[in-house]
Amino acid sequence: MKRWTTKREHQIYSSKLFQALCRSRRTSSSTSAKELHQTADRVLAITAKGTTRWSRAILAAPLTAGTNMKKHKKAKVTVHTRLRKPVVNREKRKLPVVERKLRALRRLVPGCRKLSCNNLLEETSDYIAALEMQVRAMTAITEFLSRGEAQVPTDRLGSIGNM
Amino acid sequence: MSSRRSRSRQSGASRITDDQIIDLVSKLQQLIPELRGRRPDKVSASKVLQETCNYIRSLHREVDGLSDRLSQLLASTDTDSDQAAIIRSLLM
Repeated sequence: MKRWTTKREHQIYSSKLFQALCRSRRTSSSTSAKELHQTADRVLAITAKGTTRWSRAILAAPLTAGTNMKKHKKAKVTVHTRLRKPVVNREKRKLPVVERKLRALRRLVPGCRKLSCNNLLEETSDYIAALEMQVRAMTAITEFLSRGEAQVPTDRLGSIGNM
Repeated sequence: MSSRRSRSRQSGASRITDDQIIDLVSKLQQLIPELRGRRPDKVSASKVLQETCNYIRSLHREVDGLSDRLSQLLASTDTDSDQAAIIRSLLM
């Protein structure tokens, strides 16, 4: 978990992300916010180096224009559960608040729908730390780009005559 | 540790024990900025889980907003000429 908090990791991620964004800009005329978010997530997952489930799940998911969640909605067939009273209804009755929220959490962390409690803890804490770093890095890139608009580029390169 | 609320009566059928949930919840609490300072027994398990979900969702939304902003900035900025300079600044 420590790795998401180091300055080095932040630098690596933000520069990698920026390069990836510049590359995608060159290949397609415009980058939608959704594609950008997807790129940011993929670079984040790559930075995890395959050590966590959530990162592997992000990289395994296909690149879609829409949301990836549509694939996993098979649990929402509520009509049948009413017919199978003895089996499924019992499950529903024994799902108190905590279990329901646990399930919600599992849905939020990529690739963790069937995960046990202990592993879920590890994945969640790593995922949250990674997301926080993602926010910091993207904010930093945004700042640099915004500054680039206001200033003349040569200022940054430290040309002579600069105050 | 006895369960404070009789949560899963069918402990045989449930795959998750109360202890596991309590353990998960107390550790999660430390990750959520809102709940970090509070005493573990003062915050209910469902609240911690709810706050965790809320926090992750808010982080997702934040990244959404940043993606939006970034896509606008990238469209309007000529990044090619500045690219080396920006990367240098990011790595400093």
